[in-house]
Order: sequence, then structure tokens, then C-alpha cells
Amino acid sequence: MSENRPEKILEFFIDGHPVTAKDGQTVIQAAREHGFDVPHFCWHPQLSVPGNCRICMVEVESDNGDPWFDIGCNMPVTAGMRVLLNSDTVKKLRKDTMQFITLNHPVDCGICSKSGECTLQDYHYEHNGAASLSRDRKNHATKFYPLSDRIMLDNERCIMCTRCVRFTHEVSKTHALGAVYRGDHSLIRPAEDANFNDDVYSDNVIDICPVGALLSRENIDNSRVWYTEPTASVCPGCERGCNISIWHRRQAWAFKALDPKLNTRIERVTPRENPDVNGPWVCNKARDLAKILERPRAEQPMIAGRVVDRADAIAAAAALLAGAKKVVALVSSWGSNEELAAFQLTIAASLGDRLTAWVKADHQPVPGEVIEDDILIKADKNPNRHGALALFPPLPAEGLTAIPADADVVLVWGEGVPAAALPQGAQVIRLDAWAHADNEVAAVFLPISIQTERAGHYTNFAGVVSDFAACFTPAPLVTHAETLFGMLLSAEVGVRRASA
Amino acid sequence: MSVRYQRKQYWNEPTMNWWEKAYLPEVLRGLFITTGVFLRNMGKWVTGRRGAVTTYYPEERRPDFAPRNRGKHVLTQRPDGSVQCIACNMCATVCPAKVIEIEPGFDANDPAHPKYPVRFEIDYSRCVFCGMCVEACPEDAIRMAPDVPNLVSDDRYNMWLTMDEMMTWRPQADVAKPYPPKPTLPVLPLVRDARGAHGVAGGVPSKH
Repeated sequence: MSENRPEKILEFFIDGHPVTAKDGQTVIQAAREHGFDVPHFCWHPQLSVPGNCRICMVEVESDNGDPWFDIGCNMPVTAGMRVLLNSDTVKKLRKDTMQFITLNHPVDCGICSKSGECTLQDYHYEHNGAASLSRDRKNHATKFYPLSDRIMLDNERCIMCTRCVRFTHEVSKTHALGAVYRGDHSLIRPAEDANFNDDVYSDNVIDICPVGALLSRENIDNSRVWYTEPTASVCPGCERGCNISIWHRRQAWAFKALDPKLNTRIERVTPRENPDVNGPWVCNKARDLAKILERPRAEQPMIAGRVVDRADAIAAAAALLAGAKKVVALVSSWGSNEELAAFQLTIAASLGDRLTAWVKADHQPVPGEVIEDDILIKADKNPNRHGALALFPPLPAEGLTAIPADADVVLVWGEGVPAAALPQGAQVIRLDAWAHADNEVAAVFLPISIQTERAGHYTNFAGVVSDFAACFTPAPLVTHAETLFGMLLSAEVGVRRASA
Repeated sequence: MSVRYQRKQYWNEPTMNWWEKAYLPEVLRGLFITTGVFLRNMGKWVTGRRGAVTTYYPEERRPDFAPRNRGKHVLTQRPDGSVQCIACNMCATVCPAKVIEIEPGFDANDPAHPKYPVRFEIDYSRCVFCGMCVEACPEDAIRMAPDVPNLVSDDRYNMWLTMDEMMTWRPQADVAKPYPPKPTLPVLPLVRDARGAHGVAGGVPSKH
């Protein structure tokens, strides 16, 4: 379609309802836009149309009473066509297609990780509901074939929709997967001239697989799907800020005898579709969020490495801030917009000219990590640098050496600042969530919560604000940075009043 | 307007005669009954006969459970002694008291049984012995046995029955409920063979 021609709107009918579609749209696209559900396995809104599963069969009524059946995913809408999605013949065709698709399926839902969110399972109950009519034995194929270090393929469960193959060809563009052999012997296999390990978006094929054929080797059989629930979150892996769902065990199903850590574990991470940020995809770093977030935590306030009460630590930090002539604050680029605003309204406002606040990078790219690509991954590995820079200037180019020698207090919020790089004479107040050796050498250390324990917003590199919610409860002495700044402010004001 | 308080009238309101309303004689009659039972039981106990059926649990255990009592879960085993359970969590999901907790394990080297329970625990302080777990199990891996676990504790957190305690039952030794033989796949004739046989038997030439 050329750009200058106005978009043609076609009118047609779905189950007797008049609806409109843009010229060039297929029946399944137009139907979904108007809230009609057309079953589909191989069709995916973001991928090309192979038309191999045949489950989206629809009926088109014709004037001479001789209806026409075709797959809705590959049939362009024409003006005035009368589409039936649920006629008796269509229902029968779907039922037969389901019989055919499940011909060699092992039906091992009892032990399948996909069970509970499997399209094949849903469609079986919706469109088939009958046992297999076949009297032949099922074909056996390879179980648990390793496609890469991350992905395992169960060929018996595979229905050859080729969504994963098209994903590597069209989205991640690694061309790492292909289909070999024909008929009921066909298999998904890694391509010989590519390596699926190099695909940094490979885990998306687990989500788009309509059955339980592609499995994460990391999270296999962690938990049945219905024991877990998703919490809306944002990936802190880079400044793209992909919208994700963090899956964790439901409170109602919390373990009582087994390890209580299983109740507060990130079971898996899936993308949360947001067309403005990440579409329906995320990279593998988001899937491995547990490796970043579930590092050993710092849970005790400390004064010079000695564990103290939270009130004592806050009083000591407030005394340092109140008595300082020149304070340098290194602001976290992992803080939420709310926390950054709280910092600006409390500590920054109270200290006024005595404070120099700079936004630092909490995380640098780790060796071997993809720095940047033209799909999702961005070079800055901090989720809210954009939001922080809206309030505070960035750390000067010379880095930590820019901290003036006469600064008597340095407030370090977040990770990425080694104690050795800070001026020797300055007292360090450190706010961090994870255990580091540097926490013990700080004059005052206060533990703060991590992203999965609090709610907030991040602003990504393009200025799009995404929200995240809390999944878990923080440890008793771990404080939200937002609350902590308020406590520090009131203590600091108290110290100044007493000395005045 | 004043509110009139009136006792609610029940359909089974007791009707008492004058003697019962006098209260004291009825109390004495009640005491006489209890004392009589006490003395009768004590008399039997002193003379070594069977008196009140008190079992001094946990030193003594009742031998006279009903024959159909099913008070303990057992996990059946495959002929090689490994646990039959596939950790599908159907029992844990169906359990109305939510007392079953299973930690699954994965073994890719055993494609026939890739999933198995690492830990399988039942909280007997909350189990209602409804048997739904047995009904839900697709593998006949959990059964309830005519037994009662000896869980004596003053702490309900000690009343979890672990997998090793539930795997003491040997299916081979149980004559009442024998272990099902290994299923053999029936050799089915192919569809086209059956059709051909029908054609010959009926004497009707096939249309194809």
C-alpha cells in the first residue's frame, strides 16, 4: 500500500455483525480487533503467516448457497464478505483439526510445565473434548533435546507450528532454528550454520510455543502454573525498561514444610506486552532477573561495620549530614521516580547549597553481555537513568575523582561505587540493598528494599514511564528508600534544632 | 412507646412438671447416675475385668479400628522400588485442606518418568482424611492404608509425614490390593485391515 493513498476501509460481516477492516487486513486480524476470538496455533500477531495448523478455519457465505472454507489467518478481508466463525461446519472442521494435531501428542499434561496455560489444552476442551479416534500407536520422538544451553525441546509435544523457527528468522534474526524431515517425522532442530546460544532473545520461544514443547532448562518443573501468579514489573537490566511479569508463588499456596525461600523466589519472568516499550518480547537478561535480584542481601543497619538498631543508624547519619559543610550525594539510577522525588524533596531540599547531587550508574555492562542492539537492548544498564537525570545532573566525565577533596560526607545510594574510589577524608553514608564488603567500611550503612519489594515507576530512555508493583515483603529492618529519606530528614532537622 | 421484651418461643421448648422444676431432686438424680457408672467401671477395673474403654495413648494403641478405616497415606512403588509418584501435584491441588506439599525433581535421563518427587510431605495435623488425593492421582501413586501414623507431639509442626515414612508399604506383599501388572500395549489391527476383513466377511465388495 502506498503512503499517499488514503487507507481504504472495508465493511464486512462477522457472524452477522457489521464490522470494518483496513484494506489488506486478514480476517483473523480484523476479527481480533473487534473482539471476536479465532483460535490459532501457528499464527502470531508479530510473525509471518505460515498457515500450517488449519485451526483458524472460517466459513464465508456466498450468495449461491455454496459456502467457502479457508483459514482466517491468510484470508484478506474483501468488502461485503460474510464470515461465520462458529457455524456447525466450522466447529466440525476445528474438531477434526484438533484430532489431527493431537494425533502424536503424548498428552502428558500431568507432568508438562505448560499445563494450565497451554493453548492446545485450552483448545482441546473448547473445540474437541473427545479422546483420540486413532487406533494407531503414537509416534515417539526425542524427549528433552537440548536446543541450546537455555532451551530444551520435547519433540513429542511439538505440533510443528514453526512459531519458534519464524521467531529466529523474523524477530531475533539469528536464523538459529529450522525444521527438518517431513510429515509426522518433522522435527525442530538447530541450524547447522548458526548457534542458538548466541540468540539473546531465545527464551521468547518458550512463551510463543503454544504447547509445552520448548522449555526453559533453568526453570523446568519449578512449579505448576496455577500455584504461581504474575506481578507487573519492569526489567532493570537496561534503560529500555521492558515491561515484564514476575511470577512467584501464590500466597494461598505458600509452602509450610518445604523451604520458605521457595515462597519468595522468582519462578520465572515473562514479557508484559507494551507496544511503546518492548512489544511482546524481552531479552534473556530479563529472564535471568533472579540472578541479579536474588543475590545475598544486606539486612542489618550498621555503624562502621557494627550492627545497630535502625534508629541509631539513622541518628548517626542525620548527625553526619547536619554537621557537614559539603555533602556529595551519588544518586542511584535504580531508584524509582517516587524515590528520586522523595530524595529531592527531603535531603536535597534540606541541605540546599551544601549538597552536590550527581546521578551515577549503578551497574556497568558485564563482560560477555550484549552492549546494544537494534532490537531491544540499550547500552546503559540502569533502568531509571532518564528519570534521575530529570532531577539531578549526571556524574561528571572524570567519574568519582570529581568528588572534591574537602567534601566531608559522601552519601552513596545504590551499588557501583567501591569504597576505595571515594576520598579518604570523607565520611560515607551508604544505602544499599545487597551485601558488599564495602557496606562494612561505611560510616553508616542502611539497608534498602529492592524492586520486587516495593512499587514505583521507572522512566525509560525514550521518556516512557512504566510501573512496577511489589511481589514480596522486605525483611524487618530493610526500609524503602522513599521512607528512609523522610526518616533521615526528620532526624536531621531534629539535630539542627538541638544545636541551634 | 415502650418495647416489650419477650423470650423467643422454640418449637422444642422443654415442658417441666412440678417435680422437675424443684431442681434439687433432679440434680441429685443426675449425680446418682454418674456415681453409679463410675462405681460400676471401678468395680470391673479392680476385679480385673474390662471396664471403661480408655486407651492410654501413646503408650497403648487401639487395636480395634474399624476394618475400613483408612488413616495413613502410602506412596506406591514401581517394581524397581522407585516411587510411582510423578510429582504432578494433582493431589496437592485437589486437597481441600491444602496439606500436601511436593518438591518436584527433573531427570532428563529417564524419559518415561522425567519428573519425580524430591520431597513429599503431608500435614497430619490438618489432613481431613477425605481420600480425594487417592481419587485424583492419575498414577495410582498415593493410596490410603488401614493404619494410623504414630505422630505424638505437642507441636503441630512435627506432624508432617515425610516420604520415607509413606514408602514403607510394599505393594508386592499386599494381597488385598495387589500391584497392577505392567500394562502391555494391546496389538490393535490397523483401521484399513479391519475394513478389509469386514468386506470379506460380509461378502460385499469394497467400494474403493
